[in-house]
Amino acid sequence: MTKTLFAAVLFATAAAGALTPAAAAPVDYKVDPAHTSVAFIINHVGFSNLIGRFNTVAGDLTFDKDAVEKSTLAVTIDTASVDTNHAKRDEHLKSPDFFNTKEFPKLTFKSTRIEKTGATTGKLYGDMTLLGVTKPVVLDVTFNKDGVSPASKLETAGFSARGTLKRSDFGMKYGVPAIGDEVTLLIEAEAVKK
Amino acid sequence: MTDLLHDPFFQSSLLPLLLSLLAVGVLHRLWRPLAPATVGVVFLAVFALVVGVPALPPPSSLGKLFWAAAAGLALGAGLDLAGVKGRGGAVPLALWLAASLVWIALPALDGLVAVLTLAVLVVAGVAFVTGGPAGAPSPVPAASLVLALALGVGGTALIGSSASIAQTALALAAAAGGFLLWNWPVARHGWGLAGQAAAGVAVLLAAVLALFTQTQAVGLLLILPALLAGRVRLPPAATPVGRAMSAAAVTVLTLLPAVAAIGAAYALNGGESSPY
Repeated sequence: MTKTLFAAVLFATAAAGALTPAAAAPVDYKVDPAHTSVAFIINHVGFSNLIGRFNTVAGDLTFDKDAVEKSTLAVTIDTASVDTNHAKRDEHLKSPDFFNTKEFPKLTFKSTRIEKTGATTGKLYGDMTLLGVTKPVVLDVTFNKDGVSPASKLETAGFSARGTLKRSDFGMKYGVPAIGDEVTLLIEAEAVKK
Repeated sequence: MTDLLHDPFFQSSLLPLLLSLLAVGVLHRLWRPLAPATVGVVFLAVFALVVGVPALPPPSSLGKLFWAAAAGLALGAGLDLAGVKGRGGAVPLALWLAASLVWIALPALDGLVAVLTLAVLVVAGVAFVTGGPAGAPSPVPAASLVLALALGVGGTALIGSSASIAQTALALAAAAGGFLLWNWPVARHGWGLAGQAAAGVAVLLAAVLALFTQTQAVGLLLILPALLAGRVRLPPAATPVGRAMSAAAVTVLTLLPAVAAIGAAYALNGGESSPY
């Protein structure tokens, strides 16, 4: 009887321990390029808003779900992967008029702090380096979901981010204002646990 | 007016032509020996309008191009004002151009092709700024050479999706055109080292085009025969109309290699022009 009681107490204690949320540790993720889109929208002579994207993106995320303020992100984009669905225009975008890919092949973003604004939303502050110029950029981020992806069977976290910047701040002045100065960023990203 | 100033075609044609005509006219009255310097000064003004004034130290090839051009023009004008002629002027100008080309090209020297391109640019560029028609009695052959070089570079850049190089090179051509109009049908000015520096600016533009863009710039080699502009000898004309026609013929003959270079760029580009 004593043994049975002891076993029950032990089981209950163990079960309670399993159910009690432990303090979550930051988890290291790697940006999944297959499920990440970095797109931009820019005004074209007032007629329309052109959409382009970068096809080569890499990055590391340290995500602390219970203390998102402690999370960090570092992303690198190959500027030569710019793609606006028009080969000649992409050639122009890679020239010194815009991304100057020969001299500045990388665009980087490194987070500096994160501010939680809602249950699943926050502001991501960071330094963006483009054309050799580093400026602060703020992105509005929504945490979409985390868990094991039914497709890849990998631990995955998904986010959406939006933001704006002025390209002239980075020295990319060609064509302003006919080709808009303000650039809207649309980022949809998945990261998989390392 | 603001819309007009932002029109790329106005920026690279009518605006520099008008600025050049006006500036040469002012200097014709006030300081005639410096009149050829207007070609390069107008280029710098249009560059500032199209691309902006680059930071110092310049972070990119285009920024280096602007400040190297400004330094070359200042050097040429300074030597002209000091009355330096012949080898004493040619050597500093050649050193300026060679040093500028190396400075601009450094980040792009990632292989044999880039090094060979730089070597060709240095040799051809030094030939342009120190030889050619610089010593001719009339400024028409030398200014025509700048017109041809700038037109060839601008046309090639336009076909090859490099808008700012196209615009600024065509502006240089238009500025040379303004100077030529002041000296047609009668030559009114000398040319000098400030004018020769403008030929160097065209070579710097060609360097950025060849080394930092995906443009097929090899066709620019076809411009080299324009160096012979000063050697064009037409039958002496007895009448003013004949002399005017003779000067115009020199300009047209000098432009032929530039037209060939643009044609080559078009062919190398698969016969497709740029979308802008």
